[in-house]
Amino acid sequence: MNDAQGIPVVVKAVEQVTPLIRHFTLGAVDGGPLPAFSGGSHIIVVMRAALRTHRNPYSLLSSPRRRDIYEIGVRRMEESRGGSHFMHDQVEVGSRLEIAHPVNLFGLDKIARKHVLIAGGIGITPFLAQLEDLHGGQVPYELHYSVRSPEHAAFLHRLQDREGGRLHVYFDSEGRSIDFDALLSAQPLGTHVYVCGPAGLIERVIATARGYGWPDSHLHWEQFSAPPVGEAFDVFLARAKLKVHVPPDRSLLESIEAAGVQAPYLCRGGVCGFCHTRVLELEGELLHNDHFLSDADKARGKSIMPCVSRARCTSLVLDL
Amino acid sequence: MSVNKSKPVYSPLHADAAGRFHILLGYAEGGDALSRVLGELRTEAPDSLGRTRVLLAGTPIAPFVDPGLAGVQGFGTLGELLAECRSLLERSSMGTRVYIAGPEHFIGRVLQIALEFNLNPDEVRTEAQGTLARRVHCVHCRATTEEVRTNRTRCSGCSRWLMVRDHYSRRFAAYMGVMVDAEAPGELPPLEEIYP
Repeated sequence: MNDAQGIPVVVKAVEQVTPLIRHFTLGAVDGGPLPAFSGGSHIIVVMRAALRTHRNPYSLLSSPRRRDIYEIGVRRMEESRGGSHFMHDQVEVGSRLEIAHPVNLFGLDKIARKHVLIAGGIGITPFLAQLEDLHGGQVPYELHYSVRSPEHAAFLHRLQDREGGRLHVYFDSEGRSIDFDALLSAQPLGTHVYVCGPAGLIERVIATARGYGWPDSHLHWEQFSAPPVGEAFDVFLARAKLKVHVPPDRSLLESIEAAGVQAPYLCRGGVCGFCHTRVLELEGELLHNDHFLSDADKARGKSIMPCVSRARCTSLVLDL
Repeated sequence: MSVNKSKPVYSPLHADAAGRFHILLGYAEGGDALSRVLGELRTEAPDSLGRTRVLLAGTPIAPFVDPGLAGVQGFGTLGELLAECRSLLERSSMGTRVYIAGPEHFIGRVLQIALEFNLNPDEVRTEAQGTLARRVHCVHCRATTEEVRTNRTRCSGCSRWLMVRDHYSRRFAAYMGVMVDAEAPGELPPLEEIYP
C-alpha cells in the first residue's frame, strides 16, 4: 500500500457526537461508489497538514451495504501527535482528504455459532459495521459496550434502536463494569469473542478467556497503537542508499516516507505485519511496539515493524 | 507416496492442560492412547478431572472407571457413541478439549461432528490406531461404502467399481471414490488389499 493508490474523498458531514468524538461522513470526490468492504475493516486517512503528513487508521462504522459513503469516528487524543487534532480542528464539511482502500484485520469468523462483541469507548466503531453484517443472519450475538458515562457513549442511540436486548451497556460513572467471568465461563462451543478498546480491556478479556480454556483461534482483538514518541535516532536504508533522521515525534515509517522512500504498510498500527522489515545491522537496541512479532522474534532483533517501533541505537541498517 | 494435502495427518495424543473441560472419545484400539491422556491430566491438571468425560465403544471401559471423573460411558455401537458425542457437544462450553483415538474412519466421523460445532484444530487432538480401512464417498451416486481395505471397491449405492483415492473430505468424513473403468469398461486393475 502506498499513496499512489489513494482515493480522494470529500467530507460530507461532521457531527460532534460526544465531548471527545467526532463523526465524519466521507464520499468519493468523483461521486462514484467507494470500494466494497466487510464489517471490521479500517481505512488509512491521509491528512496533509502544513508541516507534515499524517496517516492514521480508523475503523469504518458505516453499513458495508452502502457504497456511497464511509463513516468514521475520531476520538481526540490527549497526547496526539497531530492526526486526531487535525481531524477535529481543521477538517469541516467540504474538506478534501485522501484515504487508502479498506483492509479487514478484524473480520467476523464465518462459521462461528455465536459472536460475543466487547467494546470499550471508541472501540465501538468496528462493531457498528460488523452488526450490519450480523443483522438478518441466523447466528446469535451479543454486544457489551463499556464506556465512561452516558455523555461519552458514542452512537448509543443508533445501537439502542437497532439492537434491543442484545445490547448491554456499562457506564463507569454508575459503577457498572462487565462481569468477565460470567460472560466467558459458560459460552456454547463455537462461540467467538471480539474485543476492541483500551489495552487494559483487551488484556483482561484475553486473560480471562484463556483462564477458562478458550483457545486462541476463538479470540479476536484489534487495537491500533499510535506510534509512541521516543528519542531521535538515525537509520540507513541499504537499498535506497539513504541516511534518514527519525525525530522524537515522528515514527520510523513516517520519517522514511518523508525522505521520499515508499515503504510497504497497511494498518500503520502495529497489527497487520505488512511493514515487516529486515534489520541488517544494529548497534544498540530495537524498541518494539507492535502486536505482530512474537516475543522470540522481538528478542532476536532481526526484524522491525517501522509503523510503530523505534530504536535506541548508534547505528541501524534496514533492508529498504 | 501421495502428495495429496487433504490426507489427514495424526500425531500421538497428549493432554492439553490449558483446557477446562475434557472429552475423551475412543473406539477399538484407541483405548491405550486415551489412558495416556487421562494419566497426563491426573498429573498436569488434576483439578479438571471432575470436568472430564470418557466415551468408549469397542474397547473395555473398566480401566477408565474412576468416581473422580465427570463420567465414563461405554456404548454397544459406534452409532450410539456418535449420537452421545453430538448431544454432549451441544451441552458443552467454550474451553473444552476433545481427544479422539481409534481407527481413522472413527476419527473422521467424530471430526465431522466437531466441525458442526466450529471446533478448531487447537481444540481437537487425534491419534490413529487400528485398521486403515477407509470410508469411501462415491462421487457418482454419493453413497458411502464402509470398511474398504482394497485399492478398488464396489460402491454400496450404485455398484460401480470405484478407485479409492487419497483425496479426503472432512465434511463427508470419507475418501473420494471414482469409477475405475469409465473410459474402458471392464478394464480393472488387480484387486489388492492396501488398507489393512
